[in-house]
Amino acid sequence: MRLLSLFLVLTFLGTAVQAQTRISGLVQDEKGEPIPGANVMIKDSYDGTSSGVNGKFSFLSDELGSQILLVTFVGYKPATQTLELSGVEITIQVALKEEINQLDGVVISAGAFTAGEENRRTILKPIDIATTAGATADIAGALNTLPGTQKVGESGRLFVRGGDGSETRTFIDGMVVLDAYSPSAPNTPSRGRFLPFMFKGTSFSTGGYSAEYGQALSSALVLNSKDIAEMNQTDIGILSVGADVAHTQVWNRASVTGKVQYTNIQPYFELVDQEVDWKAPPVSLESSAAYRQKIGKDGLFKFFGNFNNTSFSMYNYSILDPSIKIQYDLDNTYGYGNATFQQSLSSTWSMRTGLSYSFNRNDVAFDELPLGETESGIHAKAVLENSVTDQLELRFGGEIIHRDYSATRYNESTNATESLSFSEPLAVAFAEAEFYASNHFVAKLGGRFENNHLNKQASVDPRISLAYKPGKVGQFSLAYGTFRQSSQNQYTRINNQLQEEKADHLILNYQILKDRKTFRIETYYKKYDQLVKYKDGNPFQLTNDGFGDAKGIELFWRDNETIRNVDYWVSYSYLDTKRNYLNFPYSAVPSFASAHNFSFVYKHFLTAMKTQLGFTYSYSSGRTYFNPNKSMDEFNTDKTASYQDLSVNIAYLPKNNLILYLSCTNLLGRDNIFGYQYSAVPDTQGYYPSQPIRHAAPRFIFLGVFITLSKNKSVNQLPNL
Amino acid sequence: MKTTILFLLLVTSISTRANDEKYFDQMGKQIQAVYTAKSIEEYQQAINALDRIGNAEKTKWEPYYYSAFGNIMIATNLAEGSKKDSYLDLALTSITKGKELAPSESELVALEGFVHMIRLTVDPATRGQQYSGLAMQTFGKALGMNPNNPRAMSLMAQMQLGTARFFNQLPTEACETARKAATIFESATESENSLAPRWGKEMNLEVVKSCK
Repeated sequence: MRLLSLFLVLTFLGTAVQAQTRISGLVQDEKGEPIPGANVMIKDSYDGTSSGVNGKFSFLSDELGSQILLVTFVGYKPATQTLELSGVEITIQVALKEEINQLDGVVISAGAFTAGEENRRTILKPIDIATTAGATADIAGALNTLPGTQKVGESGRLFVRGGDGSETRTFIDGMVVLDAYSPSAPNTPSRGRFLPFMFKGTSFSTGGYSAEYGQALSSALVLNSKDIAEMNQTDIGILSVGADVAHTQVWNRASVTGKVQYTNIQPYFELVDQEVDWKAPPVSLESSAAYRQKIGKDGLFKFFGNFNNTSFSMYNYSILDPSIKIQYDLDNTYGYGNATFQQSLSSTWSMRTGLSYSFNRNDVAFDELPLGETESGIHAKAVLENSVTDQLELRFGGEIIHRDYSATRYNESTNATESLSFSEPLAVAFAEAEFYASNHFVAKLGGRFENNHLNKQASVDPRISLAYKPGKVGQFSLAYGTFRQSSQNQYTRINNQLQEEKADHLILNYQILKDRKTFRIETYYKKYDQLVKYKDGNPFQLTNDGFGDAKGIELFWRDNETIRNVDYWVSYSYLDTKRNYLNFPYSAVPSFASAHNFSFVYKHFLTAMKTQLGFTYSYSSGRTYFNPNKSMDEFNTDKTASYQDLSVNIAYLPKNNLILYLSCTNLLGRDNIFGYQYSAVPDTQGYYPSQPIRHAAPRFIFLGVFITLSKNKSVNQLPNL
Repeated sequence: MKTTILFLLLVTSISTRANDEKYFDQMGKQIQAVYTAKSIEEYQQAINALDRIGNAEKTKWEPYYYSAFGNIMIATNLAEGSKKDSYLDLALTSITKGKELAPSESELVALEGFVHMIRLTVDPATRGQQYSGLAMQTFGKALGMNPNNPRAMSLMAQMQLGTARFFNQLPTEACETARKAATIFESATESENSLAPRWGKEMNLEVVKSCK
């Protein structure tokens, strides 16, 4: 016992006489600026302190011998240093290296508009798409209020920087989507097939995009679908043009969402006079399903499928003799399936794989003469990503895109069905390196190799982008690249040896992104080459002798900070473009291009009235058209009047799970004329009569009631609208 | 021989007790510091100290809990949205670490819901939908782990109050929840764990008051 107490005394004595070491010093960044508030500690002990305002620190440690000093601070890499603690005071200086930070650091922004719920750098969120007046919850409709796009009211597609609607390619989770727009009657706008609420993020690029995306001359619309759903819910929509019902079921590691939508516009058309003479207005039945499953530690499998059938029948009137009417019937069947799987392979390697299938069939009848068109495509893709260091990221992958196309026509004179078809397999490899020199400078270099087995052409396209952020807010970005796309089906089916059409993009951008304010200015030069051209004006003799260019300057300003509950944005695009392609006698402005495009989007949330009010004003300067009564020297020199539209929408939330929604496009009923269609043959006086191309109706009024049923009563369908 | 073993056992137990004492002593001080901090610097110092304790202890969830709590408090005191977010990111990192050590701790889950709730306030117009659902769900989860967690209940009451105000409805549900939380706060006996969270009573009283 005596021994024990002696021992205890000794132990405590030992502690008491144990030497304490004072450690003091200074924490700085690489430039020698002091860092206050850094956590300075002896690893695995309680001993330590925080650096003061001047970056200085000083503390005592009871530890002895070889110890590790650890210094940490947010935004910097942790620094360690081995110290020998012996009771003798130690003075040290610690320099912390900045961490490469993808949130506040520099990013490549030339040509890119990204949108997501999580990312704070976003310019347009999914909910913004849904609540933009005039867009009628159509993704392309909302993106049309951004700079770089030209309003082409009779099409509904995205026309980017002097490119036509077919030059924008849609991707879902990185996979190709063919025929991304629903069918519409000639000269009436079509809608995107995919609804904005399915996606957690949208990246709309008006040029200079990554080597991962190909077969797009002007623009890439990259939609990223939502991950696993969080709760069970049922959504019911009763619309003035139909109804829909959706249900989401959630399990521990999986979720499934199914939706059925029926649209019949006939009752509406009976109330509101239409420019179009419908025999049977469009009726469509659409169903879609999404399944998500977590696999292993961080693997995610996603499946998305969409099936749609639309049909209508209408009368066209001969321009020459309006008493002659021609019946036009269309029946469209569309299917799209997309499965992707992503997983990290190690701490630095990760992979993404995917498979998509698109099927589109149009059965058309002109005065009961059948015409058919079928396109199907398979896209398979695998991408490997390696974070070599936190400054260097490598990405490479391969893809196969296989398209089959066929068109059939019944020939009255021969009494036989004629057909034109082709099959185009593409093998692709791409590689890209992203290098962050610091939080102020990033460079992305990449290349895309494509081998087209149909026309037996191989190509390598470079893609380069740089971004430099000199200070805290503003940043400059530059992008250059070559882009290509197979000629459109109606040309390839005539000559399957046509080369791919080509465009070079050069873009310079300056952007200031603050919390809730965005300013950007962008200028570009785009050069088209190898465009399809009629040889001696003969549409059956196709060459690749077409060319063109586009240049412009664009401005964007968004502010949802200055005025409470108000969010607005303004965009302006100036476009100067000419091309010599198809039937053009010389370089001229194509009829889809307008020099000035302006949009003002305003949204106001009236808290007291539980109402969101929004309006959008759009302006496009006149578009060119060719009047065949004039000489060929005056090709595309006539211009339509400007296009102007004021659209409004109101969303009212009387209860947590109920939304009433009302929208009206072209409130003022302006008679916008998009162009003129001329008779193919002259009348008896040798004059070509024309008729204007205009809205199917001056206004489109839409009313909807949306109900959400879920256990959690605070949920509604606002983001779905 | 027997004495030696006994002796060794005794020494070991004394030293562990000494360690525990140090843990409780230091934690007590830092928890007090977080509860009483008046500036971002004071919060930061306490958070740093808590992070040091967490790093050294390796098996204790409380340091991460209070470190996260401190970061949430900083976030609520900041005006700029992106800064708020970065402190909430730090809070979430600490909560994740804590949850790895104590997966069934209701208090950590309640705090996670608190993070979602503050995230919502950064940009209610665009985040409302996502984060109100997420916050409610997380508070529900915390109450599933411990139906008598007054903080989870009180935070849930605040969410219910916000929703009721937004829709101009009577806050009946919110008041009921807040009153229930108040009873639990009142009747709370000293927890076995002297480091267990105690905050929230005053905050809950505010909700109850607004019901009158």
